[in-house]
Amino acid sequence: MEGNIEISLDKLPVKRLDAIEENGLERFPRDVDYDEKRLSLIRRIDFAWAVEKDDEDVDESDEKQGRKKKKTSKDASQPWPWQSLVENLQLAHQELSVIIDLVNTVEANDDVTVAYMTRPKPLPNEALSDLAVSAATKLQCFRHLGKYFKQSAKALEQQIAREARFYGALIRLQQNWKVKRQRLAASASGNEGFCIDLYDNLPNEPAAGLRTSLPMVRVEHDSAGMLAVKLAPNSRRSIHFGFLGTRSGDITGNSNKVNSFSLAERSSRETKKEPGSDDECIKQTHSVLREVHRGIFDEQVFDLVNREAFNTSTGVNVTGIREDYLQLNIGQEASVFAAIVPSGQDDQAADSSGSQNLETEDIPLDTLGGSKLLEGKDVTLLKKEGFPNSLCYKIYLQQIFHEHVFSRAKDRPALGNKAQSYGQGGKNSSGLLGHFCLSLNHRIFSDKVLTVLESLVERVPYLHLKSHPTWHSRRSSWTLSMKVPQSILHSSRQTQTSDAHRISDVIRSQFRTMVVLNDDCISVEGESAPNVVGLFKGNSEDTCSMNKYECDLADLPVILLQQVASQVIGWLHKEALMVGIKANQDYLCLSFELEQGEILGLVAHVDPEDTQGCISWWLVVEDGFTEDRKLNADMLDGGSDYRKFLGYLSLDVLYSTLMDLVNL
Amino acid sequence: MNKGGVGLGSGGGGAGSGPTAAAAAAAAQKQKNLFQRVDTDIGHIVDNFGLLVNAARVNEPPVRNSQEAFMMEMRAARMVQAADSLLKLVSELKQTAIFSGFASLNDHVDQRIAEFDQEAEKTDRMLASIAEEAAASLKDLESHYYSSAERKSQPP
Repeated sequence: MEGNIEISLDKLPVKRLDAIEENGLERFPRDVDYDEKRLSLIRRIDFAWAVEKDDEDVDESDEKQGRKKKKTSKDASQPWPWQSLVENLQLAHQELSVIIDLVNTVEANDDVTVAYMTRPKPLPNEALSDLAVSAATKLQCFRHLGKYFKQSAKALEQQIAREARFYGALIRLQQNWKVKRQRLAASASGNEGFCIDLYDNLPNEPAAGLRTSLPMVRVEHDSAGMLAVKLAPNSRRSIHFGFLGTRSGDITGNSNKVNSFSLAERSSRETKKEPGSDDECIKQTHSVLREVHRGIFDEQVFDLVNREAFNTSTGVNVTGIREDYLQLNIGQEASVFAAIVPSGQDDQAADSSGSQNLETEDIPLDTLGGSKLLEGKDVTLLKKEGFPNSLCYKIYLQQIFHEHVFSRAKDRPALGNKAQSYGQGGKNSSGLLGHFCLSLNHRIFSDKVLTVLESLVERVPYLHLKSHPTWHSRRSSWTLSMKVPQSILHSSRQTQTSDAHRISDVIRSQFRTMVVLNDDCISVEGESAPNVVGLFKGNSEDTCSMNKYECDLADLPVILLQQVASQVIGWLHKEALMVGIKANQDYLCLSFELEQGEILGLVAHVDPEDTQGCISWWLVVEDGFTEDRKLNADMLDGGSDYRKFLGYLSLDVLYSTLMDLVNL
Repeated sequence: MNKGGVGLGSGGGGAGSGPTAAAAAAAAQKQKNLFQRVDTDIGHIVDNFGLLVNAARVNEPPVRNSQEAFMMEMRAARMVQAADSLLKLVSELKQTAIFSGFASLNDHVDQRIAEFDQEAEKTDRMLASIAEEAAASLKDLESHYYSSAERKSQPP
């Protein structure tokens, strides 16, 4: 504020005597009302300076506007749209500043205090403006809330879809697998803690039997919210079985390679490519769980094999042992191994490495009952034919353990010959490995027996080999049959009707010799079995009885050939008797007495090593007084007069020879 | 679907002894709690939505825009929270169905066992028939071989 400062002094707030009358009456000034007092104070304020200032400001602004108008003559026709707003705001600002100064001044004088200020009644446009601002603000707020609700709804829908997929898949898996919940795992990991228990409790398994540390498979969410199983490392394992030192391991290795390839391919497909639908995902999960389940089953089988292997009553010798590897000597010059290998690993490498390690390492097993050390040289000797397919026996091992240990075998009906009698073990689990090894032994031995039989039959044309499948793992049966030619049979029947009283036995059309193999025990049964007792009795017919006896593999060819030869001799003997010729049967010789007193004999010679034929025939002429000459070495010459080699004759030729001899 | 878990209202009132009655009582209590939670959550959603709609009214001055905006955000957050709570309740119900539906599960297991037994029997019969066919074929082949001209022509 420019100008001189004026100072005004207020009267003291003391009641001053205004006048005094003659009678002594005092007159005081009238009390001023509050309002009057206030008004007087306000009137004392000089607002001239403010008004003059405003006038000056207005003049200046007019001059500026005038200059602008002069400068921008072109824009003079278009006023600024916000000009009125600016002027109003300026006026409001002036009034407010005046009021503020008044209030400050009044308060500074400490005479007047502002009690209240009534709000001026808002104008209609002001009220509408306030309403519009309020409505716009709320509209914007609601729009923001709308976006928030949309985002939340979208997130909740996604969550619902994820959970629907997860729980739908879990419920479907629960149809086939045991689903459990580990609440501690749930709290720790943040997942629901679901897991699938793949372990099958065995009835006789000890408490610490399971080798698999993690039969529980955790169930988790994948990136898409779908159910995914998390497998422990090396959870996919399988049992590997084979013969040591043979190429059978390659076969199973190849098969396992195929399986592992398929598994690897499937797992790679799982990681690289998302399943097309939930059904495919669930099927894949089923497959994975089934593989792990089979791996656990294989480990249980391996554990049982381990336990039974060290049981001396099974008759199995443990020749090597490592972690996840067991080697057994089962007899028949064969050793087998059983191992647990991860699926997908090179099984052939594992097999070869395992066998080689055992060859080089010296594993002391003398403390074990009946155990032997496998020498390295023996391994090379085992590389020979005759070993069955190891894959078949791996399946058989799994089957017998599953049937009698895992499943409720008692409730299942025995289907024909599938009812296995496991010898000394019975259906007790302790005899299963013994039974299995005996079956394996039997198969190896039966192959050898069959080889012998086939070689015999190959070299004796009139012998037929018939196999009789017993469908028993430890029993095999064959029949060597020899069929008499039809023409001879017909003639035999004609003579039989006339001389029936002389022939006590019916002429057989077929001679059979049955070879039965029980485990490794060969038994031979057939007609015309050479009976030593009957020979001593002197009655040749007593040698033609059914007999049954046992032998070993080395003697089997000779015994069978003798059996067949005796059957031929017996048949020829009966033929001779039928035509009325007196003939004598002496083991493998059919002799006729000639008129000159000489004895003509048809002798069968059996030789299993003869490559041209196993049964050859000799014609022997003996003088009744020169029996001692039989022992003379000179008489062994095939071209001598007393003994002539006839060759490997067929039945027809033999009969013709017989008839020729008869005619002599 | 779930007969043994939550829906035990009919069995809850029956007089039982031992664990059955206790289990029925626990199931009834659990069912009651679930209903209460459902009602609470639905009530929260409805109430908050109603308050939200009421806040849309443009009142006379004085204006409280910031205050009302904060209130509306709070109501919306409560609604979403209640919806999330309902979702969790549904998950709990599904878990209950998984671990409590023994009746249906046992039925399904029995059915599968019967199916697998039939498959096993069928497989055994098939194996038996295969074995019989193999035996018959072996017999025929052997008879044909041993009666064949090739075998007969082999020099003795």
